[in-house]
Amino acid sequence: MAKNNPRPGKKVKKVTFKMQKKLAVLLTIILVAFAFLVFRLVVINRDHGENYKRQVLSQQSYDSVSLPAKRGEITDRNGSKIAVSQKVYNVVIDSKTLNQNNGERIEPTLNVLYSTPVEFLYTRDELRSYIAENPSSQYRVIAKKQSFDSVADIMNRINNPSEDELFKGVWLEDTYQRQYPYNTLACDVIGFVQGDNEGAYGLEEYYNDILVGVNGREYGYLNDDENLERTLKPAEDGRTLVTSLDMNIQSIVEKHIAAFNDEHRGEYRADDDGATNIGVIVMNPNSGEVLAMASAPVFDLNNPRDVSNLKVEVELDPALYGMVNSAGEGGDGKSPESQTPENQSGESSQTEAELPETEQQEADGAEGNFISFALGDNATDALPGKSYAEAYEEAYENAKMEALNSLWKNFCINSTYEPGSTMKPFTMATGLEEGILTGDESYVCNGVLTVGEHDIHCSNRLGHGDLTFSGALEQSCNVAFMKMGATIGKKTFMKYNQIFNFGLKTNVDLTGEALTNSLVFDVDTMTPTDLAISSFGQGFNVTMIQMISGFCSLINGGYYYQPHLVTRILDSAGATIETVEPRILKQTVSEETSAKIRDLCINVVKEGTGKSARPAGYMIGGKTGTAEKYPRGTENYVVSFMGFAPADDPQLVIYVVIDEPNVPAQASAKYASVLTKDILTEVLPYLNIFMTEEVSESEAAELAEKQLDFSEGASQEEVVTMPGLVDENGNPIEPDKSSDANNQNADVTDNNTGNNTGAITFVDEEEDKEEPEIQYDSETGYAIDPTTGILLDPQTGAPIDTTVSDIGF
Amino acid sequence: MEGTARRRKKNKINLEFDYSMLFIVLFLLMFGLVMLYSTSSYEANLKFGSGAYYLKKQAMATVLGLGVMIFIMFIDYHILEKFMVIGYFVSLILILLVLTPLGYEAGGARRWLNLGLSLQPAEVAKLALIVFFASIVSKMGDRVRTLKGLLLVLALAAPHAICVLTITQNLSSAIIIFAIVLIMVFVATPNYKEYFAVGLILLGIVIGFVLLVKYDIVPEGFSYRFARIKAWLDPDAYASTKGFQTLQALYAIGSGDYFGKGLGESIQKLGFLPEAQNDMIFSIICEELGLFGAIAIILLFLILIWRLFIVIANADDMFGAMLATGVLAHISVQVILNIAVVTNTIPNTGISLPFISYGGSSVVFLLAEMGIALNVSRNRAVEE
Repeated sequence: MAKNNPRPGKKVKKVTFKMQKKLAVLLTIILVAFAFLVFRLVVINRDHGENYKRQVLSQQSYDSVSLPAKRGEITDRNGSKIAVSQKVYNVVIDSKTLNQNNGERIEPTLNVLYSTPVEFLYTRDELRSYIAENPSSQYRVIAKKQSFDSVADIMNRINNPSEDELFKGVWLEDTYQRQYPYNTLACDVIGFVQGDNEGAYGLEEYYNDILVGVNGREYGYLNDDENLERTLKPAEDGRTLVTSLDMNIQSIVEKHIAAFNDEHRGEYRADDDGATNIGVIVMNPNSGEVLAMASAPVFDLNNPRDVSNLKVEVELDPALYGMVNSAGEGGDGKSPESQTPENQSGESSQTEAELPETEQQEADGAEGNFISFALGDNATDALPGKSYAEAYEEAYENAKMEALNSLWKNFCINSTYEPGSTMKPFTMATGLEEGILTGDESYVCNGVLTVGEHDIHCSNRLGHGDLTFSGALEQSCNVAFMKMGATIGKKTFMKYNQIFNFGLKTNVDLTGEALTNSLVFDVDTMTPTDLAISSFGQGFNVTMIQMISGFCSLINGGYYYQPHLVTRILDSAGATIETVEPRILKQTVSEETSAKIRDLCINVVKEGTGKSARPAGYMIGGKTGTAEKYPRGTENYVVSFMGFAPADDPQLVIYVVIDEPNVPAQASAKYASVLTKDILTEVLPYLNIFMTEEVSESEAAELAEKQLDFSEGASQEEVVTMPGLVDENGNPIEPDKSSDANNQNADVTDNNTGNNTGAITFVDEEEDKEEPEIQYDSETGYAIDPTTGILLDPQTGAPIDTTVSDIGF
Repeated sequence: MEGTARRRKKNKINLEFDYSMLFIVLFLLMFGLVMLYSTSSYEANLKFGSGAYYLKKQAMATVLGLGVMIFIMFIDYHILEKFMVIGYFVSLILILLVLTPLGYEAGGARRWLNLGLSLQPAEVAKLALIVFFASIVSKMGDRVRTLKGLLLVLALAAPHAICVLTITQNLSSAIIIFAIVLIMVFVATPNYKEYFAVGLILLGIVIGFVLLVKYDIVPEGFSYRFARIKAWLDPDAYASTKGFQTLQALYAIGSGDYFGKGLGESIQKLGFLPEAQNDMIFSIICEELGLFGAIAIILLFLILIWRLFIVIANADDMFGAMLATGVLAHISVQVILNIAVVTNTIPNTGISLPFISYGGSSVVFLLAEMGIALNVSRNRAVEE
């Protein structure tokens, strides 16, 4: 077309050769430029590829949001929530957004934030300068774990961004906080959560994998609307544990433990609780389910690191650090114990300035009651290159952690001790089951029996005289049992110990069960003396859970159930995922033997040492125990009672262990049996177990009085203070104690060869003292056991002495 | 005989375009839409609740642009010459209109006009100036060679360039306008020495300037623009401010490897690389399709430029040749500068990648230019 319309010749020019050449040059330049750019691309990939790939991924994880999984709940058998995870919120700011538009949003946003009840980690000025100094920061947590109510206003504004255009750059991050509505109740069993959702101790640790769930993740933009998630992996909430615990029984048990502690606090050892340790387990003998498990030093699960009730003592010799007089002259009156006179006249006081601090710490630590923890090892060696203050600080921290660790331990599964006479039913069952004993035997006790080269005394040094088979258990006669042990023989005896699981773990579903395999006798090296003392429960170590699990099998027909707490596992929606059926591990004894042991144990409560354990209106069976602790001769005892109720059809088994009751004469199992009675008096009616026995007038009056107490029970619980944590005596868990049995053996021999007065005496029961009471009881028949009623009266406030009150009646 | 044969042949050829060029343009447009959707859907969903928000707008602009292109293809391109003066002044006025309430701001810069449809005057100016200078250069003939002629041409380009630079704060468009004009004049004139001299002088000035900035010898007041240069020299040091976008683009390129993460699999587009669908889309191409994809796209542009070269060489007249030269200059300068920015070869400045980056005005006017180029190809003399 153009050609048909030619313009004036000069204007219409075709592309000349020179122009083509120029175009070629241009094209070459463009080509070179493109080639260079391709080269750049290759170089970037070659030189920085790996680095940039990592950068991309690291930014990714930085900006992606973790969606926390909700930790599963823990409930008791009735569905009461023991541990729950509450949704709480972290408040996060985005400086970058706040700084946009010349920072016009900063002040209005801060105004809003600081008008809410949220507890911020920073003051307003600190936050303002942070925003100014970190303009590119997009993530800064400024308040942690705030309740919904606190952040409701902020949440509302975030969800309605159009209402206030100036409120920007703030968002909320969901998280969960573990809460324990029962505070201290069942603390040792439940355990707590620390750090990043990690269970510590008890069920929280044992079932951590099931409880914890799987965190989700939201990749990509940190958006406010929460309506767009390109890659969203939702969190998988943890599963709920339904336990066999009954928090009502648990609270009854803990209430009475606390009452015992209150009653005997400071009674003999001035700075100590009612006992060094108290442990109680209540189990269903027909399933192995633990209904309650408690021990005396309790802590608040919501604040497990609270040391205000702990007295943390550090014994550190200042002389080792060139520290001298000033501490003593400072006037706090504490330090001089660790100072020798020559120190006080020492050379210098150059580090005086550091002292007030250390004194302060010591004073802080001293505020608590009745718990002392001495760090002996650190006292002798100076830590190189440290000032006294630093060393003190370190020693204090160590001591504190050890004190806390012992506080967190579960006495019922973690501590080992010699069981004492609660072993006797096991010895009898062994003989009966093997047919070595028939139950028709009779024994003569004259107070002492010579085994090997040792004279081993009975608790009653005067002797029990003639005893029937049942009488031997009723009176808890050591001589009779040593004779039984000898008849049974060490091989059979030890075989049955194995059957009863002594020396093995029960594998209860709790973290921290002690292994006692090195704390029992070896059949090959066992001497006749070992066998003799083993037959009445001395010389080897057990845990509470071992004893009660074995005892359950003795009285339930011989079925050894694995003790357990978790009965069901639910998913987050509440559907049952797994039901834990009672697991029978083995048959320990036959039905017949079991029936005989039941009758024998009932006789103990009817006629023998266990009378004070019987709750009014009920018949129970059981056995007392008073074990002398190692080292012998220090007058330290573990007293216990192990029983079942009701007598004709056992529905529960209870085991009460009191380690070193804080009384002048510890060797009385009555402390344990009375505690048992107090607990059963409330627990049996709660379990709808009907009274089968007549209730005497005095018992009725006592029950009525208790009824008052029940209503005031709550306040009693709060008064619980923590007893001592002295581990050394009762806890041969440390390596050097593993050879306890042997040591003790050697000890026995030494004593014997030394002189006759060194002959071993195992005080088992306090029959001599209790004789009047027993008489009284047998006269009045079963209906009355008034002696113990007075013990339970906490309202009088008068110092209650078992012995005195017993005699009084 | 010869004449009639030639005429007949010509009449036939008159209806033919450079189909391969058309195909490449269409391919780039389609590819651009796919990449745009991949790149922008995440942010579009976030901001507007619809992943196809940018895609829809761009597709509409593309359809409009194709209409314009087809229209221009079939008119006689000499008609354009009649509008050269009007175009020159109208485009200048449009730039000035940005100062009126008709102008609006987006992304921190006031560069757009709201005339029912949104319009970027700088894009209009590029087209208008290509037409204007094609006419001027072809009319001036040999006079362009003289220094006076050259200065006159550059002076005529100055108002637009200065307005774009000062009013819309758009240095890159100003540079592109000057570059287009320079390349057109360079092609039209036979001499080299002057251009290389000018080139060397410019290069020297730029290097000297950069060195001044690098060693902080520039006055404080100019620091805004210089910060970009500093960020270019060491993006890591300005990782959270001026160097952020560049660094994120480099991360995208570097993490793509040879064959990329796969279409749609970019991580950097998920809020990390700002304006990914605009100037930085090439880095997402690198991330998703790797070096392979990136080089393929570069080759496509190269073929497009090659076809334009053929069109110029075979153009019927000087005006057509200069028009096509302007188009060639525009596209190649923008592609080179865009990729140079993305790879941090030059300081970061907003230059979009032709046919692929998001931007309605850009694609409509580019397609109008392609319409002109195709039109010229239709009228070319097949036989020399």
